[in-house]
Amino acid sequence: MADPKNPIYHETLVGDKPKQWLLHGATKRLLSYYHYHSPKVGVVASYTPQERDVKDHFGIFRGVDQIESFAQASIASCGTYSQCKKQNCKPDDLSDDFVPVFTHVGSVTFHNYLQKGETFINIGIIKFYKFRQMICDGRIYRVPSGLDLDEYFKNFTDERLLAYDLPKDFKLIAELFDITGIAIKKEIFNSL
Amino acid sequence: MKEYTQEERQEILAELLEVLKTVRTIDPARLEGVTEETDFLADMNAPSTELINIAVKVEQKFDVEFEDDDIDRLGSKVKDVIDLIILAKERG
Repeated sequence: MADPKNPIYHETLVGDKPKQWLLHGATKRLLSYYHYHSPKVGVVASYTPQERDVKDHFGIFRGVDQIESFAQASIASCGTYSQCKKQNCKPDDLSDDFVPVFTHVGSVTFHNYLQKGETFINIGIIKFYKFRQMICDGRIYRVPSGLDLDEYFKNFTDERLLAYDLPKDFKLIAELFDITGIAIKKEIFNSL
Repeated sequence: MKEYTQEERQEILAELLEVLKTVRTIDPARLEGVTEETDFLADMNAPSTELINIAVKVEQKFDVEFEDDDIDRLGSKVKDVIDLIILAKERG
């Protein structure tokens, strides 16, 4: 019988904690919640920069950390979810055999910036998934302060996700293209 | 496993070249004089991330299916792709 506590039996990532799906330790995990997930289409996940994230950087959340947060939300979380489903195993089991590797960043355009305490969402759209490689495009938006994101995205749809159909008070921060990651077998990774 | 003749491998190479002409990151000029020893990364200057894209196109062109592990083991020379096509054909 399916164990309800085992995340691979969940229909989507929504309701799970990112730490259930990501190997990153607490200070390098730039993701707080999953709000929408369609396993073959994409994801919406949020993060709010902490003091440590902006320290020594003018109070601003760095662009590279935006890319990292986006990658964690999209290629890392969605890729791990899909591979666990395929192999019918838990994320921990997967990490026994594979190393998730961030292999490519296409182009990124920053339109605005994020400060400590400003919650943003990553909208990741899956363009390709095969041979344990996932490629995503997407956007980052700063969201209105105090908005209940779980409630807002409760009835979200794939069509709205693909169209970035969001209200005007969601501020576009960045556009990202060809963000690519792959799960590499440990023995191959160790021989690199 | 069936032994492929040099002529049969040349036929696969010719079809493979048709696939490579559709890969945006490969300069068509680098497809002149390609042999089985040509290296995608060193000789064609293809980004390493392009190998998976090439594998997907090859699957479609040759109507074969590769396993995840095939791609893990895949080398970067043309002969490696030809060997993989033959292996996948044999597996059926």
